[in-house]
Parts: sequence; C-alpha cells; structure tokens
Amino acid sequence: MLSERIVAENNQIIVCAQCDALYDRPELKQGQNAKCGCCGSILVERKVDWVNRSFYWSLTGLIMLFPATILPIMGVTLAGQYDDASLVECVLGLIDRGFFMIAILLFLFALAVPTVRLVGVFYIAYSFKFKRVKSSLLVFFRAFHHLDNWAMLNVFMLGIVVAGYKLIDDTELSINAGLIAYIFWMISATLAIQNLDQDEIWQALEQRFGER
Amino acid sequence: MKTAKQQGYSLCPKCHKVNHTTAEPIRCVRCHGLFYQRNRNSLQYTLAWNIAALLAFIPANYYPIMIIYSLGIPDESTILSGIGKFIEEGLYPIAVIIFTASIVVPLIKIIGLFVLAHKAYTGKRLKPDKHSKIYRVLEFLGPWSMLDVFVVALLVAVVELGFVTSVAAGPAINYFAMTVIFTMIAAHNFDSRLLWDKFKERND
Repeated sequence: MLSERIVAENNQIIVCAQCDALYDRPELKQGQNAKCGCCGSILVERKVDWVNRSFYWSLTGLIMLFPATILPIMGVTLAGQYDDASLVECVLGLIDRGFFMIAILLFLFALAVPTVRLVGVFYIAYSFKFKRVKSSLLVFFRAFHHLDNWAMLNVFMLGIVVAGYKLIDDTELSINAGLIAYIFWMISATLAIQNLDQDEIWQALEQRFGER
Repeated sequence: MKTAKQQGYSLCPKCHKVNHTTAEPIRCVRCHGLFYQRNRNSLQYTLAWNIAALLAFIPANYYPIMIIYSLGIPDESTILSGIGKFIEEGLYPIAVIIFTASIVVPLIKIIGLFVLAHKAYTGKRLKPDKHSKIYRVLEFLGPWSMLDVFVVALLVAVVELGFVTSVAAGPAINYFAMTVIFTMIAAHNFDSRLLWDKFKERND
C-alpha cells in the first residue's frame, strides 16, 4: 500500500534529465510540450494521436523497406559500361572486396539499426492500437532506447548526395527508383519514431505492470 | 531551483521515472532497470574515449582514405587532399560539407568534450546553462561525421567498372570510423548534470 502511494506521488513531479531540476508535472494538452526553465531542454511532450500516427507511419516504413534496400539507388555509366548498386548490394560488394569494417558499419547504421527500430515502433504501436500490451513490452521498450543514437539514415542520405556530386562530373550518373523509395523510407521511419509518446507509453506500462 | 538530488529523488535515465534515492545501483520501480543517480565515473569514461578518439584521428588523416584506379593506375587521396581536389575542381559546396563533417566536427567534438570534462571537474568559469547547450549540440553532431565513411562506401560499391575505373577504400577509413564511434560513446558517457552540481557546489 505504501509503495502505491509513493508511485502516485512520484508521478506528480518531473525531473529534467539534463540539469536535474525538479518541477510539478504540468497539465498538457495534445501537441503541447513543457520546457525546462533552467536549461531549455524538453521535459515532457504530449504527441497528437500518437498510436495511429506511429502505427501508420511505421507500416509505411515497413512497406518501403523492401524497395528502398533492394532496388538500385544509383548507377554510373563510363566508357559504355554500366554499374549500379542497391543498399544491400553495397554491403555485399564491400564484403566481396574485403572492406569488412565499412561493410559492417554500413550494414549496422544504415540498414540493421533503422530496420530494427522501425519494427520496434511498429510492434509498440500495434500493441497499443489493438490493446495487446504484454509485460514483455516493458523490457522491450527499455532495450529499444539503446538504439536511439545509432540510426543514421539521414547521414546516409547526405552521403548519397555527396557521392552523386562527386560522380556527376566524370561519369554519367543515373538516379534510380531505389533512391526515391529510400527517401520515403527515411521520412516514414523518422516520423514513426518522432510520433511515439514516450511519457504516455511509460505511464500506461507502469499502471499495468509496475511494482506493487 | 530545486534539484532532484537535494530532495532525495533520482531520475531513471531510460524511462524518466522519478525514483526515491536508495542504495546505488537503484532499481527503477517502473522499468525495473538498474541505474545510478549520476552516470558512474562519467568524466573518466568521457576522457578515456576522447583520448582514444584523438589517437585514432591521427592515422585517419595520415593514411589515404580512398584509392581511385583509372586504367590500373592508383591515385591515393587522404581526407585533406580529397578536399583540396574538390576546391581545385570548383565544387565548393561539397568541399565545405566534407571539410565540416570530417575535420571540423570531429575536432570540435573532441576539444569540446575535453573542455566540458575539465569545467565539470574544476568548476572554473563554469556557466552551466551555456555549457549544457554546447553539450547538446555536440551530442547532436555526433553521427554526422559518419558522412565520409558512407560516401567512400557508396563510391566503392557503385564505381566498379573493371579495368576502366574502380575505387578502393584506404586504411584511413577504419581509423576514421573509429574516431567517430569513440566520440559518440564519449559524448554519451558525459553527464551534463555534473555541470549543474559543480556550479551549485561552488556557489553555496
């Protein structure tokens, strides 16, 4: 009984993760956020209709995943010879030629981590949308945050632009369908994660599976 | 300003639940994860990863990052000479992007984290509001230095036209990737709340 009271009491206050300032929990409407008056970082955020938004964006992302990774992103023509590569072919080609380190990095940061995150968002949004929340989601969502810094879809996108600039002078460069699919994949993956309402998910999980 | 530490609370870094401070490591009542009130040995870890990043940055600039074979003749370029080529060809925007992403950003990150760790340790001329903003910028910049690695990876994979032209990655790319990853881990280990703690300690 005592611990239940403490849980309720502790949810009335929030603490800034950047500077440790203590505040009373503000009443927020959807779409509002509260900023720390001390260091300016965002304390809590209420997302608009997060379950549906992240569910459908992650669904879009999962559909775009296949064309984005399998279709060729760009190709070059030089002296009558043509060569192109998709994201998966890039990784395989690098392994073939013995550049294991960059193959691993490319695979992890531009393919594996974004995919796992996308599947993760889809699973979380699916669980909440269809009310199939299991206690394993608690561990899952905690582990999910380990990947936060390691998805580099946007950096890879800039990489494509720079590599394109580099090639456009000496060769005939062709932009293929894979690039468009890749851009859509990047946008939907980013939006799916952006729309997750961390605070609400944790509170919902706590109500059901918190320590009693 | 009241801090959670003074009031006997600790914030779970994973689920942002406010817990009562008990014996460390604290087990979060919400996500059941173990955590410490402040990142443990935060400054030591930051320094160690930072030094590793700085060391890896030396071979990253010394060895060639990319080797272009045209008609079988190799043409090696380091990070800096590659930027020089862009300037010669008049591709200024790309030169600026590459220079920013692969020289300026890693150096700023390494120097910045050294300075922040020093300030958090000694508390000299510490402005926590300003410095925690700097920290957030450093953390945001982290992944963008990977740009060069991705560009080289793409060029190696796309430009493979047999004898006519092919591109190979030089040894520097591995060191460069290490630099970027090490600075990211260093930034991740730094606890910006230490800046505020030190500031209070000195002002009280």
